Amino acid sequence: MGRMCCVSVINTVDTSHEDMIHDAQMDYYGTRLATCSSDRSVKIFDVRNGGQILIADLRGHEGPVWQVAWAHPMYGNVLASCSYDRKVIIWKEDNGTWDKTHEHSGHDSSVNSVCWAPHDYGLILACGSSDGAISLLTYTGESQWEVKKINNAHTIGCNAVSWAPAVVPGSLIDQPSGQKPNYIKKFASGGCDNLIKLWREEEDGQWKEEQKLEAHSDWVRDVAWAPSIGLPTSTIASCSQDGRVFIWTCDDSSGNMWSPKLLHKFNDVVWHVSWSITANILAVSGGDNKVTLWKESVDGQWVCISDVNKGQGSVSTSVTEGQQNEQ
Amino acid sequence: MKLKEVDRTAMQAWSPAQYHPIYLATGTSAQQLDATFSTNASLEIFELDLSDPSLDMKSCATFSSSHRYHKLIWGPHKIDSKGDVSGVLIAGGENGNIILYDPSKIIAGDKDVVIAQKDKHTGPVRALDVNIFQTNLVASGANESEIYIWDLNNFATPMTPGAKTQPPEDTSCIAWNRQVQHILASASPSGRATVWDLRKNEPIIKVSDHSNRMHCSGLAWHPDVATQMVLASEDDRLPVVQMWDLRFASSPLRVLENHARGILAIDWSMADPELLLSCGKDAKILCSNPNTGEILYELPTNTQWCFDIQWCPRNPAVLSAASFDGRISVYSIMGGSTDGLRQKQVDKLSSSFGNLDPFGTGQPLPPLQIPQPTSQHGVVLPLKKPPKWVRRPVGASFSFGGKLVTFENMKVLPQQGAEQQQQQRVFISQVVTEKEFLRRSDQLQQVVQSQGFINYCQKKIDGSQTEFEKNVWAFLKVNFEDDSRGKYLELLGYRKEDLGKKIALALNKVDGSDVALKDSDQVAQSDGEESPAAEEQLLGECIKEEKQESEFLPLAGGTFNISVSGDIDGLITQALLTGNFESAVDLCLHDNRMADAIILAIAGGQELLARTQKKYFAKSQSKITRLITAVVMKNWREIVESCDLQNWREALAAVLTYANADEFSALCDLLGTRLENEGDSLLQSQACLCYICAGNVEKLVACWTKAQDGSNPLSLQDLIEKVVILRRAVQLAQAVDAHTVGALLAEKMSQYANLLAAQGSIAAALAFLPDNTNQPNIVQLRERLCRAQGEPAPGQEPAKHPYERQHMAKGRPGPAGHPQMPRVQTQQYYPQGENPPPPGFIMHGNVSSAAAPLPTPPGHMHSQAPAYPQPQRPQNGWNDPPALNRAAKKKKMPENFMPPVPITSPIMTPLGDPQSQMLQQQPSAPVPLSNQAPFPQPHLAGGQPFQSIQQPLGQTGMPPSFSKPNVEGAPGAPIGNTIQHVQSLPTEKITKKPIPDEHLILKTTFEELIQRCLSSAADPQTKRKLDDASKRLEFLYDKLREHTLSPTIINGLHNIARSIETRNYSEGLTIHTHIVSTSNFSEISAFMPVLKVVLTQANKLGV
Repeated sequence: MGRMCCVSVINTVDTSHEDMIHDAQMDYYGTRLATCSSDRSVKIFDVRNGGQILIADLRGHEGPVWQVAWAHPMYGNVLASCSYDRKVIIWKEDNGTWDKTHEHSGHDSSVNSVCWAPHDYGLILACGSSDGAISLLTYTGESQWEVKKINNAHTIGCNAVSWAPAVVPGSLIDQPSGQKPNYIKKFASGGCDNLIKLWREEEDGQWKEEQKLEAHSDWVRDVAWAPSIGLPTSTIASCSQDGRVFIWTCDDSSGNMWSPKLLHKFNDVVWHVSWSITANILAVSGGDNKVTLWKESVDGQWVCISDVNKGQGSVSTSVTEGQQNEQ
Repeated sequence: MKLKEVDRTAMQAWSPAQYHPIYLATGTSAQQLDATFSTNASLEIFELDLSDPSLDMKSCATFSSSHRYHKLIWGPHKIDSKGDVSGVLIAGGENGNIILYDPSKIIAGDKDVVIAQKDKHTGPVRALDVNIFQTNLVASGANESEIYIWDLNNFATPMTPGAKTQPPEDTSCIAWNRQVQHILASASPSGRATVWDLRKNEPIIKVSDHSNRMHCSGLAWHPDVATQMVLASEDDRLPVVQMWDLRFASSPLRVLENHARGILAIDWSMADPELLLSCGKDAKILCSNPNTGEILYELPTNTQWCFDIQWCPRNPAVLSAASFDGRISVYSIMGGSTDGLRQKQVDKLSSSFGNLDPFGTGQPLPPLQIPQPTSQHGVVLPLKKPPKWVRRPVGASFSFGGKLVTFENMKVLPQQGAEQQQQQRVFISQVVTEKEFLRRSDQLQQVVQSQGFINYCQKKIDGSQTEFEKNVWAFLKVNFEDDSRGKYLELLGYRKEDLGKKIALALNKVDGSDVALKDSDQVAQSDGEESPAAEEQLLGECIKEEKQESEFLPLAGGTFNISVSGDIDGLITQALLTGNFESAVDLCLHDNRMADAIILAIAGGQELLARTQKKYFAKSQSKITRLITAVVMKNWREIVESCDLQNWREALAAVLTYANADEFSALCDLLGTRLENEGDSLLQSQACLCYICAGNVEKLVACWTKAQDGSNPLSLQDLIEKVVILRRAVQLAQAVDAHTVGALLAEKMSQYANLLAAQGSIAAALAFLPDNTNQPNIVQLRERLCRAQGEPAPGQEPAKHPYERQHMAKGRPGPAGHPQMPRVQTQQYYPQGENPPPPGFIMHGNVSSAAAPLPTPPGHMHSQAPAYPQPQRPQNGWNDPPALNRAAKKKKMPENFMPPVPITSPIMTPLGDPQSQMLQQQPSAPVPLSNQAPFPQPHLAGGQPFQSIQQPLGQTGMPPSFSKPNVEGAPGAPIGNTIQHVQSLPTEKITKKPIPDEHLILKTTFEELIQRCLSSAADPQTKRKLDDASKRLEFLYDKLREHTLSPTIINGLHNIARSIETRNYSEGLTIHTHIVSTSNFSEISAFMPVLKVVLTQANKLGV
């Protein structure tokens, strides 16, 4: 039986950015939109009910702003941004006003990616830079941020960081209640050395390279660790300058056996991969300005279910999958 | 930042962009001698391994050559899609020779690496370029204005682009156009550049500034604009880069005067047209924007000149520069710190000595202090402007509610002075992938609103793909119909009219002879094609089994069959199962089974008994004695517990016909549990039907989930449809709020809501999300959904926010008014750090129930429990307290069944998971949860004492009301309206006897009290509780009717009634406690807890 995927534009936001937009992210609830641009600004819009009200136009970066990341709302309205100006800025709303709350300038080159850790760990931000280092900022209270740095994580640059969801490996199903969850903090990074690396916090609080995933033959542009949906399998998507998108999965509890599966080889660089909240759809953004949506079929093959043509309304594509079991 | 270096005085060529890994080929330079003045020449290949932190290049191969080179390029010709063949190295030699090398053979160490060689040129070949559109075409230039076009597929005879330019001069540079494949440009030290059109086979334009100072050392076409190119001059008097546009060929478009002395080489980045590298005799390596002239980057170099500079085609941030001091250096223009690199080398070093621990202290080596490098910081700044390849132009990201955020960046060509209007827009799209799922969910919602359940079920029955599915829907449908028990019986294959016919046939035809019996079998069989056709449809595969002659096992302890075959036994059974005593007795009499007849007649009433007794002459033995016993003794548990599971249908029919209201659900449950634990997957799924009869939603979910794959949205939809319908049925039957949600159901419902949300159906997700549960994930999801809808979170008060906010102070030094920034408010945070909230923490619902404080602590029953003297109860009986470990319980159940003492009163303990029950919120609970204390306790105690030492403790530790809703909600259970239907069954066996006069006072007193409470109770919750209590007290009245209560209990109850009359409720409660602590719990569990609720309420209300 065929399955339809329908993508329809429900809101178009004119950002009035004066240069290229590099990232657009919604908050936890999907009611606010943060954008950042080469015009050095970060903007926040209220997009509830199809509207678009500019809430904040944040100035502070001295170069193009590459990425924005919303913290979990339990920490209030907090947004991180990273820029070519080698800085990471953390913005916060207080009484309706957005302001810079922290500036991290510990990198020697462009900071390309920021990602907040799962909220269960506290307020922790991972930042990947073209100087090859990854820094981890941890909020320790009273406006203090503790910095840990992993030097030379990726030679000539780290392009992306993505945290693993907060799950306790192996004990997803029968978590003993009342016990302190034994989280193991992990994140993935991708860089100009064509590698994906998995990092893990040791008991002494130091970060250690746990795994090197090699399959790409050019810069790894993005990595995205899939949200946990209660299954013991961990999944990471990666995309590269070489046009390839890989889906990495790990089934064993030790977390050491990762196997790649080629989702597709595109003709152009693939810039970005993003998982849906339910982790079953992957959005792939390519250099030809095309966005495709992918879904794993019953027989484990990744199938393109839609091309999203921006600005031209919706395009729905019907893709026939393998036989769908009714039950 | 310098990445690598190698000491060679050599020409260099990067491997083509298509090729991976990245190699750098070097060929000994013909122009410069190295420090040793060696005249040996070699061709070498190095690999650029960026994961190796050292500055050394990894040498892959060296080929000793007889040539020295003026130019070296690496073309992608013949690289296959896998990249197995590494292209062609093309070298320009000293004496007019062009040599083609096979790099893969060089790497492999072959000796025969030359593909071809031609000595066609005059003088050194200084200029070479590969056509990027047709990679087999190579242009070469040498002295005497010689330009040849070589076809690598046919290397023998080169072509010329046209007539030689005059006067003859050296060709120093040559370049193919980047946009138009038949356009070629050449340049000479004289300063003239010529553009050739190969289609016309002639020069089409000549470019010169006529200054005579342009000594062309470099020529490069614009990567994107076909008509633009740059020329570099090595003349110290005019050390410039000129940018030309062929459309305005009279003068340069722009002149870059960034070098102080002559420029020796340029390279224009293919990855970013705003990046032009140049190196000159001023010892500078610059990266400029040729479109503006701005210097973007100056590479830190030593004082040596570089004579060649090249971008790495594959890694756009990497470039290599060859300097006269005999070194090739590889740099990154992205800046960065070299400290890390050095640190890494040190780390590497110390890791080599890592095991060195001469003193055996077990201490690792202390970290080395690295002497600071000469420059203050090892930091190299990146390009002023980010290169194109880091400027992400696209990025679609998902967000909550199945929304996809994309953005649009119009392609803008930076035109000089042109102010281009740009529209930078972001699109928010809804992604819907599960249309069928949404459609069905929508349908379900409509049904719930319109209450058209019967129609809905019928549609489902009609549309069912499998028999099982059909059965399930048929059972669900019955819940909404009159005479549900009767209908259930019909579904199980016991239609009264059909049976009547069969019995009539048997009585007429059967004379006790074997022949006749066979006849009746045939009759039954042929009959089966007509009237029982309906049964066959509904219960399909089972008819055959029914017709098989089954063996009875007369052993008391074993299982036994309930035969329903067409012979006399079968007919008697069927009659009994439908409560038709009269016919059963007739059959027994007819078959000469007097004992059976009489025993049956006793149960059938005085008149029948009298009639039957007359005909009773001798004792008779029969295989179905056991069934008869059960019927007469009303011991249905016996049947349910020990019948052969192949006869589950008969057992269920028996329960449906006979079981009392109070035990009905438990019996259905029990049968379901037995089926579920059976290995047979067919039987396992049938358990679902039992749970539907029992109205036990939670167990239905558990059973269904086990059997079905729940990952598919549609299969989840299948489950949710049934659950929603069954819950509705339970609500209708019970007429009270039955929103209680167990853990598993909650999980499934939130999964369902999540799926709906992911498809953008936020409102529907909210509608299906159970609303009065306090499970954290549901509370969080609800809040997220509400906010996503653009509404404030449920309950505006911050206290109801599922995440207590962790306030982050502003980073700026606060003004005087804020000398101290608020610190983390630890006690409120949830979830805070790694501390999970205690069970039941921050549960809104409880706040309201806590608002009704009671004089009796909720742990009351619990604390009294140890006094219960109940050592005689068998362990692991069906009514044992639910084990805390569900899995263990399931295993034990079937094998440890023991025939228990006959039940005189039911115990309303479902066989559900107590943990799931713990989390339930129970608005109608007689003992409100004023705090959570009693519930975590079993956990803390590990559950062991409850299980092994004091069995009943577990039961009492949990207020009975917790276990009741499922039971009481059983749609088939004769409660309220339903009881009417049961009474109207023609057999009339379940008629209630009157309450003995001497005990009527109890009923009137209790009911009066409830009425008084009701009239003064203000809040609906209390009213609901009281209504509920009033119903439950029916259990007490039933027991009074049946004279099954011990005198002690009855005395106690009368004492309570007297204290109620004097309005001394606390005395009543004391008596209550006394009764509870001194009586057989099973006798009183059905009504004592509610009685306590009534007393407590009365005390509180002061009525």
